[in-house]
Amino acid sequence: RRGLAVAAGPPSTRQLREAEEAAPVFQYAGKAAKRKDRVFVWGFSYSGALGIPSFVRPDAGWKKPRRIQPTPYRLETEEKISSAACGYGFTLLASNTRDITKVWGMGLNKDSQLGFQRSRRDQTKGYEYVLEPSPIPLPLEKPQQTRVLQVSCGRAHSLVLTDSEGVFTMGNNSYGQCGRKVVEDEVYSESHLIHQLKEFDSRVVQVVCGQDHSLFRTKKGTVYACGWGADGQTGLGHYNITSVPTQLHGDIAGVNIIQVSSCGDCCLAVSDEGDVFGWGNSEYLQLASVTETTQVNVPRHLPFKIGKVKEAACGGTGNIVLTEEGNVFVWGYGILGKGPNLIETAVPEMIPPSLFGWSDFNPDTRVAHVRCGLSQFAALTNRGELFVWGKNLRGCLGTGRREDQYFPWRVTVPGEVVDVACGVDHMVSMVRSL
Amino acid sequence: LNAVPGRPPRQRIRFLPTPAPGGGGAVELVATRVPVLADHPLVRGPRFRKLKIGAGHRLDVKASGVFVLGIGHGNKLLTDLYNCHLTKVYTVDGCFGKATDDFSDTGNLVEKTTFDHITREKLERILAIIQGTNQKALLMYSNIDMKTQEAYELAVKGLIRPMGKSPPIITAVRCLQFALPEFQLEIHCLHETQQYLRKMVHEIGLELKSSAVCTRVRRIRDGVFTVDDALPRTRWNLQSIQEAIQNCQLKVETELEKTLG
Repeated sequence: RRGLAVAAGPPSTRQLREAEEAAPVFQYAGKAAKRKDRVFVWGFSYSGALGIPSFVRPDAGWKKPRRIQPTPYRLETEEKISSAACGYGFTLLASNTRDITKVWGMGLNKDSQLGFQRSRRDQTKGYEYVLEPSPIPLPLEKPQQTRVLQVSCGRAHSLVLTDSEGVFTMGNNSYGQCGRKVVEDEVYSESHLIHQLKEFDSRVVQVVCGQDHSLFRTKKGTVYACGWGADGQTGLGHYNITSVPTQLHGDIAGVNIIQVSSCGDCCLAVSDEGDVFGWGNSEYLQLASVTETTQVNVPRHLPFKIGKVKEAACGGTGNIVLTEEGNVFVWGYGILGKGPNLIETAVPEMIPPSLFGWSDFNPDTRVAHVRCGLSQFAALTNRGELFVWGKNLRGCLGTGRREDQYFPWRVTVPGEVVDVACGVDHMVSMVRSL
Repeated sequence: LNAVPGRPPRQRIRFLPTPAPGGGGAVELVATRVPVLADHPLVRGPRFRKLKIGAGHRLDVKASGVFVLGIGHGNKLLTDLYNCHLTKVYTVDGCFGKATDDFSDTGNLVEKTTFDHITREKLERILAIIQGTNQKALLMYSNIDMKTQEAYELAVKGLIRPMGKSPPIITAVRCLQFALPEFQLEIHCLHETQQYLRKMVHEIGLELKSSAVCTRVRRIRDGVFTVDDALPRTRWNLQSIQEAIQNCQLKVETELEKTLG
């Protein structure tokens, strides 16, 4: 009898358990796995503002030019980006590093708002459209020690704030928004000129660009402005242009301002005690609570009874504030976020927190930051979610749909959103992976 | 059920001939109440021979929890409850470190991974992202025009729900317990299957750069019925069933009226 070869039956439980214990263990992430910081962009891409050249000029035969990126798309950057700003068809990215290259720019460069980008085909000319994040050469005295803190972009000019060398401005200066004297018939395209501003009463801690004006906030809480003033957005008491940063007075004289914001022709400032001050254009009822005039050229206190204000953001036609309790208030004109029926209001209206993910299940979800584009609003919650609403111009909301959004809508981003910058038709967000 | 005394037999008035008092021969008709023979239990047979029982939302073999049944005329309420699209609540237990082919701990092992880098904060972040994407799906599948004022008002109250067919949507997730390698989640969902929940546990494991299997799925709430209303195995008798039906009747009616109008 043979009986030597026994057919293998179904494995018994003991065999299964032994096989399981003997199986190799894979390790995908160690204990010290760090969360990576990434940049996501979405919106209109033909200006190059998204920084992805294959959307404008496809580099493979099967790729088609993508005019609009409707959902967040990851942008590869060499360094960790700490600050980003969106202008009108261009973007600036800045990193906190001590390396020589600290700021990258992409998008429109017809007014040298991204500095001089030497063209590779013709060494004497510069690029008019920059399709990829390209380094911006800043004339720093100590390039390996200075750090770039913040960047800001306006319609055709940009500001770069450093920690020890003041503020650098570049771009269009036809209204003095770069802080230097207006030169008649100056040609701004392919210009090498980057102006440096240092004369402030104390260190500048925040720079904000409006459409054609610039605001500087110093450590002492004073605000300086320069640029176009026909709507009173410089807040200096007149409607002329200012080509040198001048200190603002009015209701903010002596008040310690902790945040300034501007996007179009209206400006808002928040003091350390939670009061809101506004000046500039008021054609859309932004300042109608204090005055009937449509242009306010001196900062005025806005007497809102909504609680202590922590952060404010100014849009083209609407404004938004965030209070200490975490409530969000909107006023102005346009799609304000309370359904299609609320088109304009002069008094702030609260957006119910349940629209931002607050519920009985998650009672400690609150809005942490608010940002404004020209006709869009964005809110970041403390759980890292991004909500957008407003006019969906060329897909800039990032929802994946082309329709306007009348109430806050979540944007699906793979990771926790740390900061977002809104422009006219595109947005950039800084996201931390899990 | 058949042991319960049925209704008493019907009575009929018949005129029966009885012999007249005093004197024989003449027959008088006297009205008397007489039970109808057709109603006699021996003639009629048992009252209940078959019972129609319908089942509510499916619960598969490996899961446990609340399972709704409808008896007789209650089956019509079952279809109405289905059309209400109310959320169901599950407690799902999972275990990190293993990945199997059917996402539960009884399947064939596919891979083993380390899990000591996982913390509660990372898990909660993933749960927040899951909730966010499902919230969007909720609004999209509810087929309401986003541009109207009613859509805004419903969204504020949180009442937007898909009222038709839709893929599984999770309305809320919460981490109840976290003790490596095991964890427990409470999930509120719509239109789901238990295998989908197990797949979700597996995907959470993948997102955390490890792997996870689902050890237990238990439904603790199905629309208006909770674990407190449910009858355990020891109480599957007529008395408790009748009490349970009476207790739930009011709740079911109010819910149906509120949702279907």
